[in-house]
Formats: sequence, structure tokens, C-alpha cells
Amino acid sequence: MAGKVVISGMGIVSSLGYDLETFWKNLVEGKSGVKKISLFNASSCATQIAAEVPHEFEEYSRCLVKKRAAGQMTRVTRMCLVAAKQAVTLSGLDFEKEDKTRCAVIMGVVNTGNSSVEKDTSPQNTVFKSMTNSMPAWISLEYQLLGPNFAINTACASSAYAIAIGMQMIKNNMVDVVIAGGADSIINPEEINGFNALYALSVANDPPEAASRPFTSKRDGFVIGEGAGVVILESEEHALMRNAIIHSELAGYALTSEGYNIMAPMKDGAGMAATIEKALQNAGVDKSEVGYLNAHGTSTELNDRYETMAIKKVFGEQAYHIPVSSSKSMIGHTIGAAGAIEGIITILSLKNNILTPTINYSDPDPDLDLDYVPNVSRQKEIHVALSNSFGFGGHNATLVFRKYPGN
Amino acid sequence: MAKITESTRNEVREIVFAFFAEECEADKSQITDNTNIIKDLDGDSLMFLELIEIFKKKYNLDIELKTIGKYAVKHPVDTIGQLIEMQMLIIEHENRLLELDK
Repeated sequence: MAGKVVISGMGIVSSLGYDLETFWKNLVEGKSGVKKISLFNASSCATQIAAEVPHEFEEYSRCLVKKRAAGQMTRVTRMCLVAAKQAVTLSGLDFEKEDKTRCAVIMGVVNTGNSSVEKDTSPQNTVFKSMTNSMPAWISLEYQLLGPNFAINTACASSAYAIAIGMQMIKNNMVDVVIAGGADSIINPEEINGFNALYALSVANDPPEAASRPFTSKRDGFVIGEGAGVVILESEEHALMRNAIIHSELAGYALTSEGYNIMAPMKDGAGMAATIEKALQNAGVDKSEVGYLNAHGTSTELNDRYETMAIKKVFGEQAYHIPVSSSKSMIGHTIGAAGAIEGIITILSLKNNILTPTINYSDPDPDLDLDYVPNVSRQKEIHVALSNSFGFGGHNATLVFRKYPGN
Repeated sequence: MAKITESTRNEVREIVFAFFAEECEADKSQITDNTNIIKDLDGDSLMFLELIEIFKKKYNLDIELKTIGKYAVKHPVDTIGQLIEMQMLIIEHENRLLELDK
């Protein structure tokens, strides 16, 4: 097994910004990216709100994605490529100096967003736009990489899985560098009506920015978000050899399956707890070291209840001293991209010693009694932080990040 | 069999040059007959198909893609000049293109 795996680059496209700096600033200020849906006429849907990536992203992406290639991608695939290019730029990697057979791309992809909304605006190239491997393929094409290149679909845990598998491939000395992450957008009538039929989405349309309220008594479902998050994983040795800036260590992970229900989490959060426990063991982290947990925190009745129970089960009395916050209160649930985007938020929290809040926390659920970092961000020196992702079908993932010395 | 006039030839050249300039975001004045479609313009094989569709419509051509495919296997196209020459042959011979190899 190789030594440590580190993060040397990050890229983001989200409702709160499509560069790291703006994104982080908005998160720290506790802003919401949730608005009335503008991508299509949602007036006949029970849910009429979502956290959309600003329309200005299209203009921005033209500088980074060639016109010819852009026409063969969906909007969300363009988001993925843009986030990947940001991450590579930040990492300072020059792939012409790398052994390209040892550079991998792994993306969490639930779907490519080739929905009725996309087809209404751009009906060409259906096959390329629908290929679920298109996101990693375009990234690999961009840099002419020759290592493993694939997509993973584990629903809302997809991009956390991508990061974890990337880490393992480095640990196993299969590759030196992995571009890992994911992108997603399900802001279209088919998906919204589908999730409404499952009573999974918030219908608190007015005001939109107050709809996502994880861990409160008034939570009524998740709010759909969209975007992309991509990180550069490297062996520590490789990163140090090229004098890269290291943003954090990815210390460990756990991937588990609940084998329980296609939608609901296992009762009392038993599967979630097992995942967190295994991740801490994998990372070799003592529970007392954990200073922050970026929750899956969907704002649904069951997730928030069971995730809270899981945290208490794992940490016991210490759970009350670990700040837990849900980024989904601000950027909605970005589905296949959530693991990577929230992983990046966790890394930035470690790097900046700032915990981003759970906004809209105004009516506490008396059963959910942890420290959810209510409404305002908080300065706190932390050394180890976790990021949870749980998907329909019982796909669970927990990533463990550790502050990198000297950073 | 269509008769290729100088005017047709110029028209095809103009369409091909404009197409690659637009799709590859290239300076049209920098494109020549010797420009390599993949290496110099970062183009792709789909562009060839798209151009064929443009010419099929413009000149009301009776030609099947599989015929062009068979011909292209024996006569690979790398440069803009080669592509223009092949388009001329397609316009001139349509579905009888393969007879040129007999």
C-alpha cells in the first residue's frame, strides 16, 4: 500500500458560484442558491423551486469548453468539464510531464441531464449527450489521459464513491493521479414529478430560499440543486515531488450497502452508523479527533432523524460536541455531485478553520438535538472532518479528511 | 453524373472552409488545402458526416453513407484539400462512387 493520499486541486460549479472563491464566500455568508425554477415552466409541478446554476455560467464555460465539443455535451456535462479544468488548473498539474497511463478519471454520474429541458433547447447529438460515461470521457479527452476512465452510479453517493475508489486506486499503486468527482442536474419536469410522487421533495415554494431546512421540525423534503464538484487526488509522494500545494489529506473512507430498502434508510440509522464507524477505522482516526461533520442532511424526515441517530450511536456523548451542518440548506441536493461538492466544502472548512452553517434553522426538532451550526458560520480550528453521502438503494459513503500539516 | 463546374468547385471550397472555421473556431484565412483536420484544427470524424449531409441537401445527392464509408476506407482523408476532392467526387458520382475503384 502506498502512503497518504492528498487533495491538490478542486473545482466547483454550483448555484452559489462557479469558482471556489465566490462559492466559499457565499457559503460562509450563509446565502441560499434556491430560487423559483427558471429552466422550464414549473407552474404545474408541486415543487417549483430549485438551486440552479446561474445562467451566466454558459458565457463563462465558453472560455473553457470548445464550441464543437460543447455542442456534443449537455449543460451538466459542460459543468463537469469546467469543474475538472478548474481543479487541474489549481493543482498546477502539467499532464505533458506526467505518465498519462497512471492518470485516472472517475466521475459519479447518475444521469447526464439529457432531459426534455435539454432537448427543447438543443436536440442534436442525443447519443453523446446521453452516454453516462460522457463526463469522464470528455475530461480524459481534454488531457489525453490513458489511465482508467469510468463513471460510477450509486445515486446520491456517486461522487463520494468516485473519490473513495480513486483513493483506493492510488493506495494500490495503480495510478498516481485521479481526477475524481461528479456532476448532476435533475431540474426537469420528469424528475420533479417523479420525486414529488415519492413525497421526497419540499413543496415549500414560498419563499424559495427558506425551503431547505435540515434538522428542523418544519423540514418537508429536499430541494433539488445542480452543479459539479471535482477534486485532484494524488499520492502524497507524487504531490511533494512536483511541489504541489496540498489542500488536505483524504485519510480514509467507507463504502457500504444497506440491503434494506430502495428508498428509505435503515431504521434508526444503523447502516449510516456502520458506515461512519468503518470510515473512522479505515482512516485510523480516533473519534476524539473529529472536529466537524458535513452531514448528508437532506431536509427529509427520515434522513435527518436517522443521520442524527447514527452520529449519536457512533460518537456517544461526544456527538453533542461535534458541529454538524448541512450544506444542502444552501445549495440544495445536487444528487450525483453532492458527495464531491460537500467533500470540497469539508476540505475548505479544514483549510480555513470555518464551519459553514445550516441555514433556515429556526424551528428545532426536539428529537434532533445536535449542534447543527445554526444559521451562521463559525470559526473553529479543526483537524479531522467527515463528509456523509447516502443514496437511494442503500448506497452509503463516508469520507474522512485530515488537515495537511503546514497548510 | 453531375458535371462539376468551376463555380461548383468554388462553392464547395467556400462551404468547407466556412464550416471548419465556424466549428473549430479557427481563423478562416489560416485554413489551407494542406491543413490537417485532426492535428491542426482539432476536428473530428463527425464533421465529415455533417458536411456530407450539407452537400446532400444542397445538391440533392443520391448517395448512401455506407457507400461513402467503403470509399473512405480505401481513400482516407486527412487534410482539407483531400476532403474537398472527395466531396467533389461524391457530388460527381453519387452512388456510383465505388465504381471509381474498379
